[in-house]
Amino acid sequence: MSAVGAGVARPLPRTRSGPIEILAGTGHKSLGVRLFVTAFVFFLAAGALALLMRTELARPGLQVLSEGSYNELFTVHGSTMFYLFATPAALALGVYMVPLQIGAEDVSRPRLALAGWWLILAAGATMWAGFLTAGGAADAGWYAYEPLSDMLYSPKVGQDLWAVGVLLSALSSLVLAGCLLATIVRRRAPGMTMLRLPVFTWSMLVSCLMVLTAFPALVAAMALMYVDRNWTSVFSGFHGAIEYQHLFWFYGHPVVYVVFFPFVGAVAEVIATFSRKRWFGYRPFVLSLMLFATLSMSVWGHHMFTTGTIANKYFSLTSTALLVPAGIEYFDSVATMWGGRISLRTPMLFALGFLVTFLIGGLSGIFIGSPPLDYHVTDSYFIVAHFHYTLFGGSVFGMFAAIYYWWPKVTGTMLRERLGKLHFWLTLVGVNATFFPMFFLGENGMARRIADYPSSAGWTGLNELATAGSYVLGLSMLVFVANVWVSLRRRVGSGPDPWGGHTLEWCTTSPPPRYNFAALPPIRSHAPLLDVRERDEDESVEATT
Amino acid sequence: MNHPRSQYAHLSEPYLAIAIVVAAVIVVLVVFVALRFREGRPGAPSRRAHASVLEGAYVAVLAGVAAVLLVMTFRAEGRVDAISRPPALRVDVTAARWNWRFDYPRYGVTVPGTDTRPSTLVVPAGALVRFRVKSLDVVHAFWLPAERFKKDANPSRWNTFELVFHGPGRFEGACSEFCGLRHADMRFNVEVLAPAAFQTWLRQKGAAP
Repeated sequence: MSAVGAGVARPLPRTRSGPIEILAGTGHKSLGVRLFVTAFVFFLAAGALALLMRTELARPGLQVLSEGSYNELFTVHGSTMFYLFATPAALALGVYMVPLQIGAEDVSRPRLALAGWWLILAAGATMWAGFLTAGGAADAGWYAYEPLSDMLYSPKVGQDLWAVGVLLSALSSLVLAGCLLATIVRRRAPGMTMLRLPVFTWSMLVSCLMVLTAFPALVAAMALMYVDRNWTSVFSGFHGAIEYQHLFWFYGHPVVYVVFFPFVGAVAEVIATFSRKRWFGYRPFVLSLMLFATLSMSVWGHHMFTTGTIANKYFSLTSTALLVPAGIEYFDSVATMWGGRISLRTPMLFALGFLVTFLIGGLSGIFIGSPPLDYHVTDSYFIVAHFHYTLFGGSVFGMFAAIYYWWPKVTGTMLRERLGKLHFWLTLVGVNATFFPMFFLGENGMARRIADYPSSAGWTGLNELATAGSYVLGLSMLVFVANVWVSLRRRVGSGPDPWGGHTLEWCTTSPPPRYNFAALPPIRSHAPLLDVRERDEDESVEATT
Repeated sequence: MNHPRSQYAHLSEPYLAIAIVVAAVIVVLVVFVALRFREGRPGAPSRRAHASVLEGAYVAVLAGVAAVLLVMTFRAEGRVDAISRPPALRVDVTAARWNWRFDYPRYGVTVPGTDTRPSTLVVPAGALVRFRVKSLDVVHAFWLPAERFKKDANPSRWNTFELVFHGPGRFEGACSEFCGLRHADMRFNVEVLAPAAFQTWLRQKGAAP
């Protein structure tokens, strides 16, 4: 332990929070935990729906679900994963960690941030209430194209509940992103200039910028959908159908980067820490994040290559150009590890798993950025494989790297290493067994969003493999939950800095006290604690020679 | 030639080859680095934190790869999307929940489908066919997996494209844009006939001469 941790305030004695504190407490740490736990519950619920779908798809014919209930399941699965899990979870990491990383006491506008959590609770309750209505939950898909989602073709109340739920979740993301952005701009500790922000905080900043620019389109789309369904026609005819797609994908593409960058940032912190090296190429990395964000605001048309209404070449150009910033991130990751002293603890395993599995998602993304290739594979299982490799192979691997990395800071305890490694290997095997066969299914002509397929098509074997893989994924989640349970029941204390972290959150107690820091070290780079450690090493070397 | 299947094969080969090489290099590199620089090695970790020239050169290579891919893509797309010559045959494709209708307006021939019996698209081999596709209700997509091609059927507006079928043969097509309850069943058959057999088929259907 360096001298930095010494003069730190003691943690407050652990007290059990009453219902009022749980509902209305505003501290950024407890709020971050509540937001994250809420999002994670939605993750498990949506995952359970996926297991039901995979069970149905293992064999041709309908065994456990009807076509109608299958449509409800994939709609609520995708909607829950995007609107209720991925975005809130990414922002929750920021709510907890950004103030700590920049040496602040709390987020800006903490009560507004609290409203962000309430909004996501309301959004989830509204959307899932669809299952309780007579007609069932929404069944028009997570992007609910017009006119399929209008009152004529989707007369059920569940579709209204869905639109309102999605709108509430978008508002939640907007207020949370606003609070985080204000925090980063206004609450940095003395010495923490913009180009000394930790890489995770930079990734969060870029995500929040994208939320503020892209999510208003979703608010508009949902509000107009509600008006169209209940009051007066908005999206009728050809133009309405295509305009809805523009509105939706103007949100719908950037959102996949919103739920990706924070985990890239977390993985970067993990790789640097567990390599015992400073993050390599900090400035190119920050630039690449900005380039990534800029490009990703201008690629939405690649979801519409087959509509016959789009400047396909333009969107192909911007989409293919994304390989440049993505390549920079891989360069910096490998260069950070090069010459380091790498410790393969669970967070690092998930970070390396992220590099390898996201790679398949990214490379298949270049493939479908080419219209003549996309014409064939779009709306097929190839796309399902592609985006699950980016969202599960990328974001969820990154999320688990973040969970295992920051768990000691948040709880003051360690997660079990052996269960963590088991969790990692099961997830790695499960994700590849589930999603890799889908590339071949799509190439062979299996459309997405079908509950049934002809037995003559020859897709049964690959579907059985995918279903088996999904059960392995289900098992890996049980191992994770068991790890959490065991680690909280029989606590192994972590101390303030079990990993030798580089950033400010590791120079305070675990969990941090109410206002985070008693004292801060000097901030001269994006890795202030590493600076201190390197200076100590240099001084001791000088002293011995 | 408006033959997406060969364009797809032609274009996907370099894309796949590059993807496989990149994937192999990165996976091997990540595993190698993770094992080579394990903790416990003697000496302190390197403190080097940037290599601007190397990284700049690498970015130039990335941009070059992107440019090469785009040139190939634009060329192939130009061929697949071309609508140039006066077509020998026109087929109008109408999608509605949950079946397809194929009209041959020049011959006054209509092939309807029903919810229980999928419709059959009949086309001649080796001839350019101009398709127009639209929907009567929600957005559908006209997908010919064997030809590596699809086009959305939008409500109240025709989408036009041209295809050449090498044939003769039979395969299945499907709707690939989710369109509600029985989307999975919205399939159709495609039958590619030799030109003479196609003329016979038209006459059997009562084509106006």
